[in-house]
Amino acid sequence: MSERFEKYFEQMPCYLSVHDRDFLITEGNQRFREDFGDRIGEPCYEIYKGRDEICPDCPVEKTFADGLSHSSEQMLTTRAGVETPVMVHTTPIQDQSGEVVAVIEMHTDIRKVKDLENQLQQSQRRLARLFEMVPCYISVQGPDLVIQHANRAFRETFGRAVGDHCYRVYKHRQEQCLVCPARAVFADGKAREHEEVVTTTDGRRLNVLCNTAPITNADGEVVSVIELSTDITQIRQLQDQLTSIGLLVGSISHGIKGLLNGLAGGIYLVNSGFEKDDQARVTKGWQMVQRNVNRIRSMVMDILYYAKDRDLDIADIDVAELVSSFGGLLEKRATDMDVALSCTSAPGVGSFPGDDKAIRAMLLNILENSLEACRGDSKKSDHWVKFTARRAAPWLIFEVEDNGIGMDQETREKIFSLFFSSKGIAGTGLGLFISNKIVDKHGGTIDVDSQPQRGTRFLIRLPLEARPSTRPAEEVNTTRSLNLESEES
Amino acid sequence: MTLPKKILVVDDDADTVEYLTTFLGDHGYETAAASDSRSALTVLQDFAADTILVDVLMPGRSGLDLLVQLRRDPRWQNVPIVVVTGSDKILEDDCQSYLGSHQGIRGPDGVLGKPVDPAALLAVVGHIMSEAE
Repeated sequence: MSERFEKYFEQMPCYLSVHDRDFLITEGNQRFREDFGDRIGEPCYEIYKGRDEICPDCPVEKTFADGLSHSSEQMLTTRAGVETPVMVHTTPIQDQSGEVVAVIEMHTDIRKVKDLENQLQQSQRRLARLFEMVPCYISVQGPDLVIQHANRAFRETFGRAVGDHCYRVYKHRQEQCLVCPARAVFADGKAREHEEVVTTTDGRRLNVLCNTAPITNADGEVVSVIELSTDITQIRQLQDQLTSIGLLVGSISHGIKGLLNGLAGGIYLVNSGFEKDDQARVTKGWQMVQRNVNRIRSMVMDILYYAKDRDLDIADIDVAELVSSFGGLLEKRATDMDVALSCTSAPGVGSFPGDDKAIRAMLLNILENSLEACRGDSKKSDHWVKFTARRAAPWLIFEVEDNGIGMDQETREKIFSLFFSSKGIAGTGLGLFISNKIVDKHGGTIDVDSQPQRGTRFLIRLPLEARPSTRPAEEVNTTRSLNLESEES
Repeated sequence: MTLPKKILVVDDDADTVEYLTTFLGDHGYETAAASDSRSALTVLQDFAADTILVDVLMPGRSGLDLLVQLRRDPRWQNVPIVVVTGSDKILEDDCQSYLGSHQGIRGPDGVLGKPVDPAALLAVVGHIMSEAE
């Protein structure tokens, strides 16, 4: 029997050693001798670890102390210098009186387990890195909609979100969103895809495509929800631009039809005037042709300006010369429309920095609008348009005032919007939109004051010193409608 | 001798008004003009129009709003109305999508696109006048 156990002891596929109270090894099996040599009678700490004193937290010492088995993970170094991770188990050997006289220690090589552990850790680190580095916003939310994890992109864009509610972080809301995909996933365990508009820590609004999926436990219960959001703001902006182009085409087509109608009318009046030998009708018809040719020219200029958002070419503009040039340019048109046009500039108005072409296009647009507003007004017999320029540091102020048809509040609020036209078929809705854009690019503002049937006044302020716009593009196209009387005082 | 038929032209574009009133006048119609829906109602007080040509996109109330108002008013509900528009959408659906929200309102008696085809204008107006007789 003893021989048989001795054989088992010898052939166990692990290191087996017997230790006395002085930590000297009194016996060792074959594997022990193979890897550590025939070192019976030497202290275990020297043999296994190359130390000259007892190891801290020694399981053999503990077993001698309490008579119980102990286990721990240790690192041994074989005589060939190979470091081997092992799981150590100790068991007391007691004499007949129950006293622990020796401890048997078993070291199981756990290198493979350790390798697997390392691989697992590496894999977890890789996954964590991937989670961190993915260029999307990823968050994991619990059933209470509190964010449990968030990746780097998420944290950089939405701040330190972990521990906070998703609706506070994403939407700056104080209560849950009415439609909540995370809640829906918790309810039925099905993945969702939807589009959201979210707000970053610095207040930017982003369009995101949000994919939400359940994370389940071993029992298949949804314990959390992972949300992966992709920033699609640029795609949405491109779509908006495409929509704008579609609207532009529609608007141009609509405008061209109106102009063709005007041209057809002019041609009809000229032809029928000749047939009837009616010179007044010929003249009226020819004026219609000229007017509509001018409108086509303006429309083409507007379209070109809209299509090409060019940089300003700033140079000093002589204000008096600029103002009087419009007198020459529009005098005949105004006379044909029976509108008294006056273009005056205050003495010593000097010059200002601006893009000559853009400023002329802007003023022409507003002046043409004023002339049209007079022509469209059949209630009054005398119509006038007054164009003035003066300095009121730090501004140069252009004022275009007419006693034409005027605008109601709704029209006044929309006149600078893209594709809004109050001129029915004759307008593309580009002119004042572009005028406003030009003024804004110069760092100036346009205010408008108008009363139906009484007339309209545009007040254009441009900085006397070059000062480009700092307003965000989306704010530019809102109408400023102030009390001009108080502004002037 | 029969009196000339009366046509009211409602359009905010002065050139269009000039064109249509002159053209229709040359073809034997008596015309009046209004530059928006509100003034059209004023003109109609003294001008018993046999037909109304109305633009759609005008400042203030649209031509289709005017149509709905006239159709609801016993004084003018039987006056034929021809819509003149440059809008492809209105031409395509014949005003029905707009009028769909006004149950029981009769649509326009004719729809003409801009630029106005003079022959088509005379044909539509002539047909309406002969129907009335």
